[in-house]
Amino acid sequence: MAVVESNLRHLLALDGMSGGQITSLLDRAERYLPIVGREQPPIDVLGRRIIANMFLEDSTRTRGSFTVAAQRLGAQTVELTGKGSSISKGESLLDTAWTIESFGVDAIVMRTSAAGGAALVAANVNVPVINAGDGRHEHPTQGLLDLLTMRQRLGDLRGRRVAIVGDIANSRVARSNVHGLTALGAEVVLIGPPTLAPQSLAGLSPADNITVSHDLDEQLAALDVIMMLRVQFERGAGISSDYHELYGLTATRTQRLPEHAIVMHPGPMNRGLEIDAAVADDPQRSAIRQQVANGVAVRMAVLAWALGE
Amino acid sequence: MTYADDECRPILLRGGRLIDPATGFDQTADVLLAEGLAQQIQTKRIDSGDAAVIDAEGLIVCPGLLDIHVHFREPSGDGGPAHDETIATGSAAALNGGFTTVCVMPNTTPALDTAAMIQFVQDRAAESDNCRVLAIGCATHQRAGETLAEIGAMTKAGAVGFSDDGSVVASAAVMQKVLRTAKTYDRCFMQHCQEPTLTAGGVMNAGVLAQRLGLGGWPKVAEELIIARDIMLNREIGCRYHAQHVSSGGSVELIRQARAGGQPVSGEASPHHLLLTEDACADYDTMAKMNPPLRTQTDVDALKAGVADGTITVLATDHAPHPMHTKRTDFAAASFGIVGLECALPLYAKALIADGVLEWAEMLKLMTVNAAELIGLEAMGLGRLEVGGPADVTLIDPDAKWTLSQEQFVGTGVNCPFFGWDVVGRAVGAIVGGRLKMSRLESRNTETPKKIETPKG
Repeated sequence: MAVVESNLRHLLALDGMSGGQITSLLDRAERYLPIVGREQPPIDVLGRRIIANMFLEDSTRTRGSFTVAAQRLGAQTVELTGKGSSISKGESLLDTAWTIESFGVDAIVMRTSAAGGAALVAANVNVPVINAGDGRHEHPTQGLLDLLTMRQRLGDLRGRRVAIVGDIANSRVARSNVHGLTALGAEVVLIGPPTLAPQSLAGLSPADNITVSHDLDEQLAALDVIMMLRVQFERGAGISSDYHELYGLTATRTQRLPEHAIVMHPGPMNRGLEIDAAVADDPQRSAIRQQVANGVAVRMAVLAWALGE
Repeated sequence: MTYADDECRPILLRGGRLIDPATGFDQTADVLLAEGLAQQIQTKRIDSGDAAVIDAEGLIVCPGLLDIHVHFREPSGDGGPAHDETIATGSAAALNGGFTTVCVMPNTTPALDTAAMIQFVQDRAAESDNCRVLAIGCATHQRAGETLAEIGAMTKAGAVGFSDDGSVVASAAVMQKVLRTAKTYDRCFMQHCQEPTLTAGGVMNAGVLAQRLGLGGWPKVAEELIIARDIMLNREIGCRYHAQHVSSGGSVELIRQARAGGQPVSGEASPHHLLLTEDACADYDTMAKMNPPLRTQTDVDALKAGVADGTITVLATDHAPHPMHTKRTDFAAASFGIVGLECALPLYAKALIADGVLEWAEMLKLMTVNAAELIGLEAMGLGRLEVGGPADVTLIDPDAKWTLSQEQFVGTGVNCPFFGWDVVGRAVGAIVGGRLKMSRLESRNTETPKKIETPKG
């Protein structure tokens, strides 16, 4: 169900994708990077196609990134956002999707607060559907851009140790990264307080290289990547007053990472809570801005793939 | 029905396997029904006289089946959503599944929390003239869990039990008052066991699969906590306490211990909790979204063990019709529950008989006399088949092989995950008060008392 390659190519989740499928998308994204960096001119592989950005939940970077990606490939976008949309007037997700499909768009990029929402739409429309985040479930293009970033910095990810730290329970980014990383042979350690990183998360994928820890300090020395997550208060996450003390990525903690280890964050950041400003802006370790640039390239790759180019 | 001439004609059930779980009777027998009552039951041949003869050879003849937990969505409120199911369509569905008596839950709009509302249900049931429809009244005013509903007046009006089904009675203090009051009027209380603070945002069983799908988890302990609390509250009161739609193995154990201690505590199992696990949710299939949620195979096994050892005393469907658009949506937004009446019998048989947990006679006990005893109606003869008692009979072909499909359903609700399942065993006749209200007997060598029309929907 993650990637449906029947008549239509949907990207709904990294759960279920093979390492080969992921690597092929990353390779394609890498080829598009010079376009994102304006070292090469845009290409016209999706000329005159129309891509609907159906964002029923707030988004800045993901939606902007998809729009730029589409335009760099010569496609046009139509923007349909949550506030003031029909769905805020009580229309169902499927009715909204059918309406957009009836415009005659060539693909739907969609974000919704409903876990499984992209799969539901994909099963009921006749155009490719790209999941740009469905509730707490997955955010596969974010997962891919994170994987690309790690691959650029560290090379082959097999055997690499990646910590994802913070509000795992509410994070679709964490879920996509877990599936992508395990498919590529990396080890994942999920770190956070038991309320936000319950032990049941170790069963997220059948792979046996996922562990859950509640002690950030004991993990630092062995990490190749540390990915900090935002605490999603809007999804009901609660934290105690010792959160920053136990799980915040401070400059002191950063010094205990191996020399080559990188710091990532999918944004938006709560500076001073899960990550200190100095760490986020560290020119050596921080890959945060690289993640954003990679996001455009990855979305170009996914759109081109989904539309059969 | 239009065949007034035949309306009062006696019926002779010839040569069926008569099972009356109330007495343990299980032999080939003839049964003569007339004037609304069972007139003769004999292991030797009864002279047919002027009775219409139904050849029941190869069929099970048993007391009319009861389902004490259904939702018929009537009344459905002012300006609210259109009726998904009504008392007329729901009772037609019940007959189609072989049930002669159902109890409707009071979570309608408005809720069934007054004697007048109980009377309304009875009036609608009489107009529908399908199966018997009995009402469960609210335990608290508007099911809000704050103040007692008029339990005494509703009892006088005919309510056969009390429940805030769909909501738990969360307050221990209110629960204590409900148990005392229901006990006073010799009525059962049926609890919807769902501790609310542990289930906020929960839409499926809490665990690894919910984590993977990014769906809110609903832990088993939310059910177990309420049962444990209520057992403790009820220790000094002794009300007939019934845990609805038990989903967790831990709940089964709590009920088992309370029964061993002599408390009048019982539990019910639904077809879906006996046959499905949380794995059915894996592709966000909203037909697998239940309240309480589907659990794990360990829980299914514990539930079956509870049925086998008499801890779970009643089988009930929690028949929950919903319009399809409320199922054809994302999992978190979708409505909870499925219809059950028209497929329950073969599904119970699949879960319990085909699996060797029970024999037919034992299983039918959970659908007849046990249910009737809980709602206090065994005294008027419901749930049993005895000379002088009401002529409510279900005829079952235990060997009928068929495939469940939407076309065979007569109820309004078709939200059902079991379409396409191959099953064995089917109700082929339902007699209510001496009148044959549902019949699939055409192919048999049978002089049916009258042509049966589709029950009124």
